Amino acid sequence: MSFFSLIVKNPFRNKTRTALAIVGIAIGIATIVALGIITDGLKASTEETLKAGGSDFIVVEANVSDMFFSKIDEKYVNEITKIDGVDQAAGVLMAMQSVEDNPYFVIIGIDAKNIQFSDMKITKGKVFSSGDAREIIIGKVASEKMNKTVGDTITLSGDKYTITGIFETGDLQQDGGAFMSLANVQKMESKEDKVTMIYVKIDKGADVEKVTAEVDKKYKSELTTVASLEDLASVDQGLSIIDTASWAISLLAIVIGGIGVINTMIMSVYERTREIGVLKAVGWKNRRILGMILGESIVLTLVAGIVGCVMGIVAIQALMLLGMGGFLKPVYNFDVFARGFAVALIVGLIGGFYPAYRASRLPPTEALRYE
Amino acid sequence: MNDNIIEIKNLEKGFENSKIMALNGIDLEIKKGEFVSIIGPSGSGKSTLLNMIGALDKPDKGSIMVAGNNLTQKKDLSNFRSQEIGFIFQLHNLIPNISVQENVEIPMYGTGRSGKEMRERALKLLDYVGLSEKIKRKPTELSGGERQRVAIARALANEPSIILADEPTGSLDSKTGKMILDRLSDLHSKENVTLIMVTHDMSIASLADRTIKVLDGKVQN
Ligand SMILES: Nc1ncnc2c1ncn2[C@@H]1O[C@H](COP(=O)(O)OP(=O)(O)OP(=O)(O)O)[C@@H](O)[C@H]1O
Ligand SMILES: [Mg+2]
Repeated sequence: MSFFSLIVKNPFRNKTRTALAIVGIAIGIATIVALGIITDGLKASTEETLKAGGSDFIVVEANVSDMFFSKIDEKYVNEITKIDGVDQAAGVLMAMQSVEDNPYFVIIGIDAKNIQFSDMKITKGKVFSSGDAREIIIGKVASEKMNKTVGDTITLSGDKYTITGIFETGDLQQDGGAFMSLANVQKMESKEDKVTMIYVKIDKGADVEKVTAEVDKKYKSELTTVASLEDLASVDQGLSIIDTASWAISLLAIVIGGIGVINTMIMSVYERTREIGVLKAVGWKNRRILGMILGESIVLTLVAGIVGCVMGIVAIQALMLLGMGGFLKPVYNFDVFARGFAVALIVGLIGGFYPAYRASRLPPTEALRYE
Repeated sequence: MNDNIIEIKNLEKGFENSKIMALNGIDLEIKKGEFVSIIGPSGSGKSTLLNMIGALDKPDKGSIMVAGNNLTQKKDLSNFRSQEIGFIFQLHNLIPNISVQENVEIPMYGTGRSGKEMRERALKLLDYVGLSEKIKRKPTELSGGERQRVAIARALANEPSIILADEPTGSLDSKTGKMILDRLSDLHSKENVTLIMVTHDMSIASLADRTIKVLDGKVQN
């Protein structure tokens, strides 16, 4: 038998205690993994919004904390259209309204002629007409939730809008909301001549980086371009808050898991005091005893890592079954699981070190006298 | 130049700030290949003396040379224990969750033997103590005498020059105890191993080349 297999066997001598420790740590790891899957899902759907339809990049207000709070003058739409390399630009205004029992009903205002920027498919009816007719199209998910279809009306800020069509984009957030003409949303929100962002499509063969650099230079203090999620990070703090939260939870899991491991390993060392005395008597070096206990601790936490990853996936699947599927598409990235395992390893190292050190320092005669 | 494997001079060891003097000036010489039994009342310091010889503890005063090693000066004693000493305790102290064979391999970790060499040596030693049939058993599935025989095989793993046995038959009935003693004296006579054994049983002590009596931490003459 190898030293390694001894290390793997030892944690399972006290099955109940080990199982409890594993479950405790696994819950922490599962939380980290589940949050990671959710964060990645949100990132992916944000990215989807960014890459909406034909747009190559979007333009938002400079220095705003959240993309949603961006507010820029509509006149920039025309100005940007004139920039070298820009093919088309379309202003959109986003609004959130409370509709029936959904307080976060997202309405996007865009001119009917620019609707292709949204990459949608009209599954029923047709797009709202241009001009200021009180017309609206709603997403497939919204239609199912509100049980409304073409011909029905929706009341927004006291005005009735007739549903002219049902659309599908594949983006959960959008499919749960609606589109109407830009002018209507501007009026409804009292934001005449304002837009949230501008979708920009560049000429064939033009370079996105060059064009965005041009826009950034020209409107340094007023506008920011977002061509990818990396650009977004500086604009959208929402995602970075989730990121921070999941790091904080990781840290918490390390602390709580670490205490659990210390406790479990100290108990295990305590029970095996005599045995450790014998190992010293047969000539084991302190280093080897330290390595054994530390190794056992890492075995414990790595098993917890596996259990935690499985628990995380199961938790996400359960959330999906409970109806979260309407808001979120989970994304399973390798990185998330790698992070879960990294945390497990850190917990094993930190939690195992003190008990291992104590075991290695036990005076052999005292250990052997221990009853 | 002499053929003493152990030379102890005026060795003292106290516990609890020297309130308890377990060893109170021990003078002892043991020749290579000798079989020495140590007797004495409970608490007289026999185990403490054995622990000093096996470098499990450090003396307060005096000098102790074992197999050419000055134990009062040496820092890392694990190599010395691994190479020179084989311990047998009153209780077998085997590791319960691994097999008999694996228990015998335990002392060989870190001695440079390959896995195959470790296995082969363990099998040879278990054969020597008559346990070839039970190498895959767990210690909990063995009788007291069988466990003590495993402990002997474990003590022999690294071919020690000295075997220290602290009441090896203390927890066994006399018949099983005799079997253990047979193995030990066989080892002593065939392999020229120095054997030092603590016992309470005078009939066992009389098997030795020499019997040392310890009283109040001193050797009685
Ligand atoms: N680690 C220790 N801490 C405190 N006192 C100790 C320690 N080890 C031994 N002693 C004391 O030292 C004295 C000698 O102990 P030792 O174990 O050597 O006796 P012994 O001759 O082996 O006795 P027994 O025949 O009962 O095994 C005893 O009084 C014992 O209580
Ligand atoms: Mg004793």
